[in-house]
Amino acid sequence: MLRVGVKYCGGCNPEYDRVALVEQIRERLEGKASFVLPESEGVDVILTVHGCRTACADLSGFRGIETWAVTGIEEGEEFVREIIEKEVHIDAKNEK
Amino acid sequence: MMTAEQYEESLGKLNLVVYMFGERVDDVVGNPIIRPSMKAVAKTYELAHRPEYEDIMTAVSHISGNKINRFTHIHQGTGDLLKKSKMGRLLGRETGCCFQRCVGMDALNALSIVTFDIDTKYSTGYTKRFLKYLAYVQENDLTCDGAMTDPKGDRGLPPHKQPDPDHFLHIVEERKDGIVVRGAKAHQTGAVNSHEVIVMPTLSMRKEDEDYAISFALPSDAEGIMYIMGRQSCDTRKLEGGNLDQGNLMFGGHEALVVFDDVFVPWERVFMYKEYDFAGQLVEDFASYHRQSYACKVGVGDVLIGAAQTAAEYNGVARASHIKDKIIEMNHLNETLFCGCIACASEGRKEPSGTYCVNTLLANVHKQNVTRFPYEMARLAQDIAGGLMVTLPSEKDFKSEETGKWVEKYFKANPDVSTENRMRILRLIENITLGTAAVGYLTESMHGAGSPQAQRIMISRRANLPEKQKAAKKLCGIEE
Repeated sequence: MLRVGVKYCGGCNPEYDRVALVEQIRERLEGKASFVLPESEGVDVILTVHGCRTACADLSGFRGIETWAVTGIEEGEEFVREIIEKEVHIDAKNEK
Repeated sequence: MMTAEQYEESLGKLNLVVYMFGERVDDVVGNPIIRPSMKAVAKTYELAHRPEYEDIMTAVSHISGNKINRFTHIHQGTGDLLKKSKMGRLLGRETGCCFQRCVGMDALNALSIVTFDIDTKYSTGYTKRFLKYLAYVQENDLTCDGAMTDPKGDRGLPPHKQPDPDHFLHIVEERKDGIVVRGAKAHQTGAVNSHEVIVMPTLSMRKEDEDYAISFALPSDAEGIMYIMGRQSCDTRKLEGGNLDQGNLMFGGHEALVVFDDVFVPWERVFMYKEYDFAGQLVEDFASYHRQSYACKVGVGDVLIGAAQTAAEYNGVARASHIKDKIIEMNHLNETLFCGCIACASEGRKEPSGTYCVNTLLANVHKQNVTRFPYEMARLAQDIAGGLMVTLPSEKDFKSEETGKWVEKYFKANPDVSTENRMRILRLIENITLGTAAVGYLTESMHGAGSPQAQRIMISRRANLPEKQKAAKKLCGIEE
């Protein structure tokens, strides 16, 4: 299962409910991805959840790890689609 | 880092001498007038442990390399200064009031610069002492009161000429192991919610004032320190029970007069001792940081805008063009304030000590705006809310068997909104614009971190007029 480290910006003036969005993403990807603290061992991808398009979350501690930035609800949906498609692609490859 | 619960517990262990309404307060943490202010400080601890806020609320100590609460951090770059401004907005919005902890952070940062500079000039050992103290504050995640403002007595006289020498805090005795000080610090925000008090001089000084050029830190319950609580408009509503008339049900602020009655300070806690030529710099650096700290008013402004918009909807007038325009104006003013605190942070500079300080001119411009814009925003919010925010009957009348039905009936507006909710939002606007929170949102915006004239003096000093004149003369062909 994909291990997703969730890294939030500081939330000084967020334009949407970041925590609620992550909860929705978590529900949508249940069984496909596990969501952990960003500094956890064995993280496959860092999901950076920014409250606005300034996207100021500090990612200096995550160099070398794939990151996916979300700055709004639509981009959260794109992340879900990407993970689902990735899994379909991997499943198809395994079947071959 | 401490949790909010650990912070509250740690305060309970202090033996503070606090007076309010002429009586000693036995249970400071549990006192209903003081407690909301403690909860506002506790929010600074709580948010540091929440993943969705830690990017702003925490930092890495340049001393230990450990993760610490940002309120104990020394700014290591403009990124830190920016996060400080954002933290102010975040906490202002979360609490709707003054959360009191910025003043200690500003004192620590100013001292990190000035102790280094004094050492450079006089080969004193203040930096080593200060860094040891800072490590203690960071390791224990302490809240510090930054105590600068003396009562000042006759404003026309310097400290050494005051009829009462105690109107500025001063040294009364020098001992082998330390010094004894006497005086007071006025308007101390969050004083009784602090573990430590950091004392600084309040103005520039000359040789004759050297006994007043003193900076030190003490535990807030050190022997000889007494706190006399300041009153706030509508403060005793917190004693009435109920949960409506206070407006802000959870948080608040407080100020106190802090008296130092022959208090002993050990040498290892002294960071400036008679170096009068550095008093002005300490005041200026602290004031610049603290003027930036008024970023918090942007967060409280967010709450006020939200309350005004809600009141408009509850009153059934939200679609009126003049109401929409007033909300736009409130947002314009609030975001202009945000521009100032972001600008002075992003234009910050590195001091010889390595600490980053905000741009002094821009910090003063920001604070000058803060002395004005919240007042205009409060006026607009009151305009939108309507007169009911000050004529509304009490919660007890609303809940009374005899009068409740009339309050319910005649203060109903939008049929989709309960009368109680309408009352709640009006009480919040009242709280921020003329109740307990107006102390922080309005008068503190005027006088906190220096009154308006203090910023105008700094703007005049820092605005480079000759360069502006040169630019003008060049364009119109003046050669002198």
